[in-house]
Amino acid sequence: MADTPGRWSGQATRRSWLAAAIAAALALAACGSAAGTGKGTSGHRSKGATVTMWLVTTGPSPANTAAANLVSSFEKSHPGDHITLDFVENQSFKQKIQLAMGAGNPPAVFWTWGGGILQQYIKAGDVYSLGNPSWATSFLPSSLGAVTYQGHIYGIPVEGTQPVYFFYNKAIFARYHLTFPTTWSGLLSTVAQLKSHGVTPISLANGDQWPGLMYLEYLTDRIGGPSVAKALQANTAGGWSNPAVTQALTDIQQLVKAGAFQSGYDSLHFSGGGSDALVYSGKAAMQLMGDWDISSILGADKSFVTGGDLGMAPFPTVAGGSGDPADLAGNTASYVAIASHATAAQKAIAVAFFKDELTSTSYARAEVAAGEVPVATGASSLFTGQQLASFDTTIYNSVQSAPSFQYSWDQAMTPQVANVMLTNLAQVFELSETPQGFESLLNKQAASGS
Amino acid sequence: MTARAPAEDARPARAAAPPSPRRSGGTSRGGTGARRGTRLADLAGVGPPLALFCLFIMIPMISAVVLSFVRWNGLGTPRWVGGANWAQFFRDPVARTSVVVTAKVVVLSYLVQTPISMALGLFTAGRQRYRSVYATVYVLPLLMSTAGIALMWESLLDPNFGALTALSRSWHLGFLQQNWLGNPGLTLYVVVAIIAWQFIPFHTLLYAVGRRQIPAVLYEAARIDGAGPAATFWRVTLPQLRYTIVTSGILMIVGALTYFDIIYIMTNGAPGYTTRVLSLDMYDVAFLQDQYGYASVLAVILGVVGIAVAVGLVRFTGFASMASQQEGAA
Repeated sequence: MADTPGRWSGQATRRSWLAAAIAAALALAACGSAAGTGKGTSGHRSKGATVTMWLVTTGPSPANTAAANLVSSFEKSHPGDHITLDFVENQSFKQKIQLAMGAGNPPAVFWTWGGGILQQYIKAGDVYSLGNPSWATSFLPSSLGAVTYQGHIYGIPVEGTQPVYFFYNKAIFARYHLTFPTTWSGLLSTVAQLKSHGVTPISLANGDQWPGLMYLEYLTDRIGGPSVAKALQANTAGGWSNPAVTQALTDIQQLVKAGAFQSGYDSLHFSGGGSDALVYSGKAAMQLMGDWDISSILGADKSFVTGGDLGMAPFPTVAGGSGDPADLAGNTASYVAIASHATAAQKAIAVAFFKDELTSTSYARAEVAAGEVPVATGASSLFTGQQLASFDTTIYNSVQSAPSFQYSWDQAMTPQVANVMLTNLAQVFELSETPQGFESLLNKQAASGS
Repeated sequence: MTARAPAEDARPARAAAPPSPRRSGGTSRGGTGARRGTRLADLAGVGPPLALFCLFIMIPMISAVVLSFVRWNGLGTPRWVGGANWAQFFRDPVARTSVVVTAKVVVLSYLVQTPISMALGLFTAGRQRYRSVYATVYVLPLLMSTAGIALMWESLLDPNFGALTALSRSWHLGFLQQNWLGNPGLTLYVVVAIIAWQFIPFHTLLYAVGRRQIPAVLYEAARIDGAGPAATFWRVTLPQLRYTIVTSGILMIVGALTYFDIIYIMTNGAPGYTTRVLSLDMYDVAFLQDQYGYASVLAVILGVVGIAVAVGLVRFTGFASMASQQEGAA
């Protein structure tokens, strides 16, 4: 579709318009014979077609280099096909892709967290369905939930998995003869003991609001099992009044009232490194965080990680809860998807890239080398010899054996619900909102948001 | 009444000001041919800026008004919902809170910044020793980027690792140990103080310039009439600074009304909704919640109130008919 750019397109850079225009022109000019390998698109043949792919970056990283190498290896094995890789800055990506989608002029291949935002695009008819390709089985099944909609797969993992664990300071636990608690009541008594020794029990960067959400995700799952979150994500009427959610919110406030978090937890930002510093400097004992915390602490205090002081533990169980203790929460992976606006030739190239390159062992190996935990099946042998091999192996095994891997709610929910949820959950953490107030507000927001 | 004389002297000077040369000058007296040429030239001169004004100001503003009547998440076709978005505004408790917070920021900013800027401005306009050193120090925040200011203060105010916490420990100043950016009763005032810290230097410059343009003869006259420092201030300085006060005030009020960046970076509206100004609410609703229709309502309200306040202030203060009050000041 050659829609005229809408009025919201102002922010999309001129370069990307130009790139898209060139890509479209090249695709139109494409004819003759070349590899057209994609499922359902093999009738169209491409030669010299160019695909623009947007990936998210938080700054030059080894993972970016791995992706760039993957693209050049693809171009070598598929002469005539080109993939133009654009790295978009993380913060501005959400708006940029939204504008490009709204203007009907997205890149042929775009990066996504899956979940609620991808679903919006799917419902608007903007995303190309991959169906159920046989090669998708080369990824761990739990990693594809966030990109599966009505039985169809819409995206393929491009970067590693990021489950959430408790990270703790082993030296503090050893000093006071504590072991990391495996139950919620055990956590509360550990909190009390640490406080009596003058140590802040838990570090929390809730200025960002999403770190607090991790508690709600895990508690809801431990108490009520994975079906509760599924109902919430489907905007089921009254879903937020589920007793599991009520208990989870009550438990959170119990933890706050017990003085578990450092002073100023509601204004600390994770990106400043303060919440990590509390843990590795020994001021706080633990933090609930995604597995990227390992590399972020490694960057700040290398010897703390390599010296074996950083402990990692699963979220405790809750007595009487029906959730499996092996269930995980976090970011299952990040993905790439194909825009339905792409030409048949572009789709064929993109599918070939997904099938031939993203599933390859060599890419899984490159991801491991870049410090990621890939979601490819059979990747567990790749960690041997890596600096963080023991962490990586534990993470990979826990993802592989998790009965349910719950996707981060702020990504899984529709944007309209997600942001109200974050702001008001922060108020629950500040004890300025009751569980009942939170629930009725979210029920209302979910009802109006469709 | 000692210092009144100079002001009265100034009045006839204004009345007797020669009419501007343009009004009485040759252009309008020229023949019809010349007039047409002038019009063409005027049009050619006005055309490009007018086109840019329409393209970048008028069209987006009209678009926002139109969008305020639709429901649209940025994808697909906007759906016409009539006044539903506007009705939502009057029922939305978050929007109501944002309006109150915005009003507080505007009023507090004005009340805090005006006296401090004036005092510093008058001080730096003086002729005492080291004046330029002080002036340089006062103006330093003006050189810093907004994001830099926000991040700097955020780390200074960090309750665990911040400088104020360190001070409170080493100097035993317990009151400095505060949850500056997380305490619902305190954070708004902290934010207003940091905004003031950022903008006072600019207004200080305005006042310094304003003070320096007051003719020395007025002060000499006041001194001869026996006016003390207080009387001089109230009867000479303050009346002569009238237009500086108006200019600075309009900039402060309209600026505070749409203020966004420092609040966005430091608190993002938290704790709770206590620092969520209307511009932040609009950003959140539009770009995080993808409700472009309702966000346009907030944008239109912000725009209309901003324009109304600016126009109102200009009218009310006589800023529009501004003319020199000074004798021989040119």
